[in-house]
Amino acid sequence: MENEKFEPKIVAFVCNWCTYTGADLAGTSRLKQQTNARLIRVPCTGRIDPVFIIKAFEKGADGVLVSGCHPNDCHYNTGNFHARRRWIFFRQLLDFVGIDSSRLYFSWVSASEGKKWVDVVDGVINSVREKGPFNGYKKLNKEIEIPVK
Amino acid sequence: MKQLIDISKELFESKQVGYIIGYAEDKFKRVKPFVAYSSLDTERFVFNNNSVNNLAVYLTRLPKAKEGKIGIVAKGCDIKSIIALIQENQIKRDDVIIIGVNCNSVVNQIDEQFSKENTAIKCKYCQVRTPAHYDYLVGEIKEVELPEDKNFAIMQKLDSMSAEEKWNFWEAEFEKCVKCYACRQVCPLCYCEQCIVDKSMPRWIDSSATTKGNFAWNMIRAFHLSGRCIGCNECERACPAEIPLSLLNRKMGMVAINEFNYRHGTDINQPTLIGNYNVNDKEDFIM
Amino acid sequence: MRIGVFICHCGENIGRTVDCPSVASACANFSGVVHAEDYKYMCSDPGQNLIKQAIKEKNLDAVVVGSCSPHMHEKTFRKACSDAGINPFLVEMANLREHCSWIHDDVPSATRKAIDLVRMLVEKVKFNEPLIPIRVPVTKRALVIGGGISGIQASLDIANAGYEVVLVEKEPSIGGHMSQLSETFPTLDCSQCILTPRMVEVYQHPRIKLVSYSEVENVEGFIGNFSVTIRKKARSVKDELCTGCGLCVQKCPIKKVALSDFDEGLATRPAMYVPFPQAVPNIPVIDRSVCTYFKTGKCQLCKKVCGREAIDFEQQDQLIKEDVGAIIVATGYKLYTIDKKPDESMIKGYGEYGYGKFKDVVDGLQFERIASASGPTSGEMLRPSDKTTPKKIVFIQCVGSRDESKGFSYCSKICCMYTAKHAMLYKHKVHDGEAYVFYMDIRAGGKNYDEFVRRAIEEDGVKYIRGRVSKIYEENGKLIVKGEDTLAGVRVEIDADMVVLATAMIAQNDSVKLAQTLSVSYDKYGFFNESHPKLKPVETSTGGIFLAGACNAPRDIPDSVSMASAAAAKALVLFGSDVLEREPVVAKVNEATCAGCFYCQKVCAYNAIEQKEIKDRQGNVIKVVAYVNSGLCQGCGTCNATCPSKSVELLGFKDDQIYAQINSFAEVF
Repeated sequence: MENEKFEPKIVAFVCNWCTYTGADLAGTSRLKQQTNARLIRVPCTGRIDPVFIIKAFEKGADGVLVSGCHPNDCHYNTGNFHARRRWIFFRQLLDFVGIDSSRLYFSWVSASEGKKWVDVVDGVINSVREKGPFNGYKKLNKEIEIPVK
Repeated sequence: MKQLIDISKELFESKQVGYIIGYAEDKFKRVKPFVAYSSLDTERFVFNNNSVNNLAVYLTRLPKAKEGKIGIVAKGCDIKSIIALIQENQIKRDDVIIIGVNCNSVVNQIDEQFSKENTAIKCKYCQVRTPAHYDYLVGEIKEVELPEDKNFAIMQKLDSMSAEEKWNFWEAEFEKCVKCYACRQVCPLCYCEQCIVDKSMPRWIDSSATTKGNFAWNMIRAFHLSGRCIGCNECERACPAEIPLSLLNRKMGMVAINEFNYRHGTDINQPTLIGNYNVNDKEDFIM
Repeated sequence: MRIGVFICHCGENIGRTVDCPSVASACANFSGVVHAEDYKYMCSDPGQNLIKQAIKEKNLDAVVVGSCSPHMHEKTFRKACSDAGINPFLVEMANLREHCSWIHDDVPSATRKAIDLVRMLVEKVKFNEPLIPIRVPVTKRALVIGGGISGIQASLDIANAGYEVVLVEKEPSIGGHMSQLSETFPTLDCSQCILTPRMVEVYQHPRIKLVSYSEVENVEGFIGNFSVTIRKKARSVKDELCTGCGLCVQKCPIKKVALSDFDEGLATRPAMYVPFPQAVPNIPVIDRSVCTYFKTGKCQLCKKVCGREAIDFEQQDQLIKEDVGAIIVATGYKLYTIDKKPDESMIKGYGEYGYGKFKDVVDGLQFERIASASGPTSGEMLRPSDKTTPKKIVFIQCVGSRDESKGFSYCSKICCMYTAKHAMLYKHKVHDGEAYVFYMDIRAGGKNYDEFVRRAIEEDGVKYIRGRVSKIYEENGKLIVKGEDTLAGVRVEIDADMVVLATAMIAQNDSVKLAQTLSVSYDKYGFFNESHPKLKPVETSTGGIFLAGACNAPRDIPDSVSMASAAAAKALVLFGSDVLEREPVVAKVNEATCAGCFYCQKVCAYNAIEQKEIKDRQGNVIKVVAYVNSGLCQGCGTCNATCPSKSVELLGFKDDQIYAQINSFAEVF
């Protein structure tokens, strides 16, 4: 693995109504982007539990992106506000234990912001690529010897 | 002490309480939590610098009193957790009688001899030596000498570290964790009947005490206490592996204060931090 | 589990950059997958038949379709699978077009990604559960709150479509602000002449139950099934007996005891009164705060003269219950009263205009009454102080509107038009009079609106001055208006006889309380919020509750009427079916593990979470847990993420479903 060129693995948690649809728009507009991101669709950013993010890192993500509707545009009115308040704590917690904020990204991408979505995704992929692999968990995973395919 | 015992007796005799949670000495003269079920029991009540335990934890662990309310002897810091429990629907204010105690700081570990050096770090910044909220108030405030804040230096050091160094610091700490969950059991705000760590469908947090699972457990616990922890530091005291858990909670507490000017457990009627939002919450980290 | 995977080429759209056959063959190796195939157009009839056939032949119990966005064809494939006997919620879609083939060029890496995307959903679908749409019955009856023109229009539309309406009005009569107006822009037709027939139609309509002098006290339930409690305030007159002869009003000895609300305080009324002659219902009310009987126990003159024995001094407020399926809120607006009642006002500005101090400084609605043929001056243009005809009149626009420092930042929208109308009405009645209008901009968007303003300026000679007024003071019986003309760059001083302020339209006093009763959201000014500013302008965030008219934002009559008809149409759509089917993507509580912290309740935007007591056999409460009302839950899942013990989960997006996706996003681990 060390010999290969590093390609970051990015997990993106996106809300169904804004960002997922914005990503759809990027598709319909044929806006090219890198292939590193894997999207997980949830109804609302309010649904995104911080344990999802921890799990994604544990499972080998080098970066995580969380994206939803802009404030006041939430399909469910307030889901993103509650989510935002959680993130304020969570990202500082991760930073404190050594998962620095250049691995965890947040964005508001509306259904009309196909271009912004591409910029966000490519931006995240590029900066995580520059940062290098997230070895913290990789090391710990090796410790408990989960059989690697 | 007489004041405390007198009030407790009166509460039993007037049938206001079913039991009173307080402190008493065991046969080795160690101060420990003690539940008085009768007027006679209250004779054993003590309160001194070794009354370390946050007794609020028993409010959700003990069965409800058959008749009458629950009485509780509480320091200012413990009362914050009682208020937090009321804010979070775990108890009703009317169901509890709070005997507040003027506190002259407590020792770091129960069996230690109280001294300036052995004083709990939380006492350093205590603003509720005279409790802010109570039904009865006993004891007198004395001049105390405050300990040095050893953790502050560690916090500063951590803040200046790189991500990898921080990770290594915590890896070394969490490696020691044996997942005994003493931190959870002693925490008055860990009142869930089934903790997320015990949930198996799906198992978010590895149950075996691997460093990976320990990371997840301690992070999730700190996150679940974000904006809620009142800083009694019982988790750290109870931790047999001596993991500096208070640092995590302290960090989250600082976020609550710096970003929201919020302190949990100070006002029964205050809307909780998590569970509410402000449209103007900071979002400079969001693209 | 027997899962089938179907990979669509979408013609060339996916097939060009994703090697669909190799995706299908890779997927065939996933555990649980018993069938995998690719096809040119999965969404076409033959494509759907392929799926149906495979379901039957291979006895599949879950399906993953790798094709376009679920927003495009999720419904199509769910339907197809459901036709073949699979619960539609055991169907997942991997987005290989919008999220893969269309955005990537490199075939190998796009193909790898496509395999990952399908794998994640194969893993998810293993944890999907069959869900059954939630069916709730619909009570085909509507409640309309507010009997102004919006409420009247909505009520008539619904009633004429064949459904019952309960119309609640807090004043003794319906009609609202429109009944106070003299004439209406841009046609200058008489407001009452076009409104009163509608009011009578409401009153006589067999399917409209008019509950006047009443307020909504409580609302329970959810879309299709609301239970509403209405407080019927004591009128002191039995409405079923009163014929509206008006004898009691004539005989009431306490004549000029109170200022008439209808005449905006420019006239008085007796203790027993109907707000205005054309009131509907034409039933008087006793104002108990000023009635001699209620103050001293003597008089009862009204009771003596009433041949029908309709007067009832003992009458109490009544609480009545109505079951309805839809609610239309049409509570309208009020005018910002400046310093008239400073304690009630959200803002305190414009004391410099002397409103409330100088009798001849009036607001827009007061001017309407002065200009109205049914008003205190019988339509003669007389100023309030000495009942003389003002020879010089000044109109000031944007008093409180578009003024963040002293008032509200929004535009009240109707003032440009009604000020032009006022100035025209004045000029039509006082031919030699001079009318000045101070304005910031003229906002006359609307059919024939700008033409109307031009008419005021060009035909009627109203003088428009672009600028603000800084001060008004009295000198020798004149109101000295000091302002500036920003176009000419000069200071202006006008010795006026009368000043009319176009004050801001603001939310009703109790709008926030009503919004909370209805659990709909409101903005910082107290106006009710629409669900979506463009696409759902009459819906609220709460299903089954719709908005009409100025309770949502400042609005003129034509806009209010069209919004009311739109709201009525939305209610009728609801009434079009006997049962309401809702997606079963709702939260569900595990009562065994719920600790009752109710953080879920705090984060729920729909008040869908209630507290439920768990009792033992003796009936003692053991614990209190959260309970989700699936009629109200909209399925955002914020409760799920907030719950520390994961005791509430969102069906369709449960923790194990998302966990499975995270677990499988990369092959390595």
